[in-house]
Amino acid sequence: MTFTWKIGGEAGFGIMTTGLLFSKIASRLGYYILDYVEYPSLVRGGHNAYEVCVSDKEVTALKKDIDVLVCLNEETFYKHKNRLTSQSLVLYDKEEFDFNDNFKKVDVPFKKILTDLKGQTVMKNTIALGASISILGGKIEVLLDLIAEQFKKKGDEIVRFNQQFAIAGYEEVKKNYSFLIKNFLIEKEEKKEKLVVSGNEAFSLGAVLADCRLYAAYPMTPSSSVLHTLASWQEKTGIIVRHAEDEIAVINTALGASFAGVRAAVGTSGGGFSLMVESLSFAGVAEIPVVVFLAQRPGPATGMPTWTEQGDLLFAVFSGHGEFPKIVLAPGDQKEMIKLTLKAFNLADIYQTPVIVVSDMYLSEGHKSVERDWVDKIVREYQIRRGKINLSYKENSQKLEIFLRYKITEDGISEKILPGTPGYFYQENSYEHLEDGHTTEDFKERTKQVDKRNRKIGAYLSQNFQLPNFYGQSDASIIFISWGSTKGAVLLAQKELEKKGIKTGFYHFNHIYPLDKEKVSKLLKKDNKRYLLVENNALGQFGKILAMETGLDFEEKILRYDGRPITVEEIIEKI
Amino acid sequence: MASIQDFSGYQPTWCPGCGNWGIGMAIKKALVELNYSPDQVVVVFGIGCSGNMNDFLNAYGLHSLHGRALPNAIGIKLANHKLPVLAVVGDGDCYGEGGNHFIHACRGNHDITVIVHDNRVYGLTTGQSAPTAPKGYRSKSTPLGLIEAPVNPLALALTSGATFVAQGFAGDLNHLVLILKEAITHKGFSLVNVLQPCVTFNKVNTYQYYLQRVYKLEKDYQKDNFKLALEKAFEVNEEKFPLGVIYQVKRPCYHESLPQISSLPLVEKKRFLEYDSLIKEFI
Repeated sequence: MTFTWKIGGEAGFGIMTTGLLFSKIASRLGYYILDYVEYPSLVRGGHNAYEVCVSDKEVTALKKDIDVLVCLNEETFYKHKNRLTSQSLVLYDKEEFDFNDNFKKVDVPFKKILTDLKGQTVMKNTIALGASISILGGKIEVLLDLIAEQFKKKGDEIVRFNQQFAIAGYEEVKKNYSFLIKNFLIEKEEKKEKLVVSGNEAFSLGAVLADCRLYAAYPMTPSSSVLHTLASWQEKTGIIVRHAEDEIAVINTALGASFAGVRAAVGTSGGGFSLMVESLSFAGVAEIPVVVFLAQRPGPATGMPTWTEQGDLLFAVFSGHGEFPKIVLAPGDQKEMIKLTLKAFNLADIYQTPVIVVSDMYLSEGHKSVERDWVDKIVREYQIRRGKINLSYKENSQKLEIFLRYKITEDGISEKILPGTPGYFYQENSYEHLEDGHTTEDFKERTKQVDKRNRKIGAYLSQNFQLPNFYGQSDASIIFISWGSTKGAVLLAQKELEKKGIKTGFYHFNHIYPLDKEKVSKLLKKDNKRYLLVENNALGQFGKILAMETGLDFEEKILRYDGRPITVEEIIEKI
Repeated sequence: MASIQDFSGYQPTWCPGCGNWGIGMAIKKALVELNYSPDQVVVVFGIGCSGNMNDFLNAYGLHSLHGRALPNAIGIKLANHKLPVLAVVGDGDCYGEGGNHFIHACRGNHDITVIVHDNRVYGLTTGQSAPTAPKGYRSKSTPLGLIEAPVNPLALALTSGATFVAQGFAGDLNHLVLILKEAITHKGFSLVNVLQPCVTFNKVNTYQYYLQRVYKLEKDYQKDNFKLALEKAFEVNEEKFPLGVIYQVKRPCYHESLPQISSLPLVEKKRFLEYDSLIKEFI
């Protein structure tokens, strides 16, 4: 059983909070969820919508039909009715508008309840949640608990005041529409505790678990909630969060902190990342570890701030002037986000170079269920690896000595000691430099340092690079290739195709760059298979990287670049 | 105890007679007199003739990008506030390319000491006009004369919230040492704008020019008088240059306002391990 619940209304009236509460309700009742928000780049006045796909198994992608549409205004109905079927339930207030289409009507008197109970407009949401639980056969207690948790600081009276709107919505539907009540949200007997996390929250969790101690950012959609989440955790976790004056200050604050020995990260979207890239190059030559969280949105320039795209991949891979190693990772979902964020901090330290974790609005702002025991296991197993960053280098009480910060080594990685270690000094330098950090223009020394830095690429490829994950049947003649957040849609498309008797395979890349040419070429060798590249951009950017690295050209592409995530239907259509 | 020699790195490549020599020596002397040794100090350098001091001054150094030394210095201070952090930067570096960072570093009262080499030109790129160059100044980039009014570094710092604002002169080493020592010891953001002749590219603001126009603030000068400080800052418009600490007040600095690091510096803290309390937020 899988169903989609969607709520819509005017921006600024709590749709986001309400959607997330619905996701948590479903999760607490034992179900898996995947949710998706649509909102304009406005604080007030536009249309907001939030949909939650609920199932008893993992949900990897949204589905086409909406089963329950909650209309907090008339616009919601007309905007989304093309996704309704004759079986769909529409919750709306007849006093506000009515319609003649052949859907199942559930008239909820929002206005009347608000007036009767002397509520504010925003409490319409609570009525809607109560009504939704009722029509879906769920338990109202779960919502009452969530309301209590949300308002407990304000006292019992406020809690009870808010709860009565939930109860009113619930009872109203129970009383008048018992014949329409579904059993979609009946509490599961066997429940696995699950987290409802967005991609941004997954990054935030990963960063704290990885012992990131400084996070700097300038607000930019869709990365901002990382800033909010980590800022709210400052007192609890001890992390320092700096909202700096611009993205250039952001990355340089992080580089300063990293130079001084703490793990540091920054987060932004394409525009802010553009401002950071000179400093990324600085991190490359000065060999300063830093993790960059890049949550893409459609560009160019200001683009469409609140929508999704995978349009900055080539930019990320080639970001920064000059030649220096950098690692680009792109998680496919929230679990991969936690895992790869943890890995990113280790890689940044081990290779003393920037690591970019690429997300997009769809992954960053959408929530997905992650089992609690999975998270606990990841936490238990994670080991902080700082490579050759030596936090406890022995003090030198003899004569002051210059430390060879850029000593030539076989793997290209040099030891680093903490600034302030007694008896030594060194500099990290944005100019080309000698082993001791001193600026140089000597051609031999230059070549040595370039080679040293680039040897890290080989070390990474042999020790930490991972080939794409393969899903589906290995003997299939149709093979999908994708990267990052398009993973879930392809997975579901594969299932649907299998039902039709079509076998498919799927290579999903999350270790994007650098790539191990030989291994990847071997894997994607074009026998008689049909390869389809799936990307949320216009140019098939990952395809270009594959072509550059392997010489293989993937001509068949499923691309979408209208700001919306790729859907299962459009993938199936191309087969 | 460390000596000037301990702080001396490679042989400087500055032009003979350049004001940088004086500033470089004053920084070393100030550090020695404050009892620091090179392993106890962090210095961030910008890009320019001033930034080239990275190779001539022994310390834990970070030779940053043009304009970006201040946010680096802030990051270092946040990570390890036990270390004194100096930023050695130029006028174009700090008031041009990095102007935004300068304003916000003042606002934040970050506990860093910013030493600006103010020679009113871009020396390293062969003499274009700097943000502090006077209106009408002719240079390679402004052959018809500079159109913009100059930046007033002291006034900018004062109005942006700096808690220590001083001006020194590269030609008066001993006095500069005194100012630098006060700046480094000051808790909070400190600016030392150092008037510095560029003997190669600036034929107007020479040693002679400054010697005739600088004067030291009197002993009983009221450092905590904001209005008076602003007056002093604007004397540059009459080609008068006060030397000394023109403004100093106490205000909690940025890192002191962070409860996370009230007991130990960030880099020395134990790892946070109580993940359960975070995970619960998502259930």
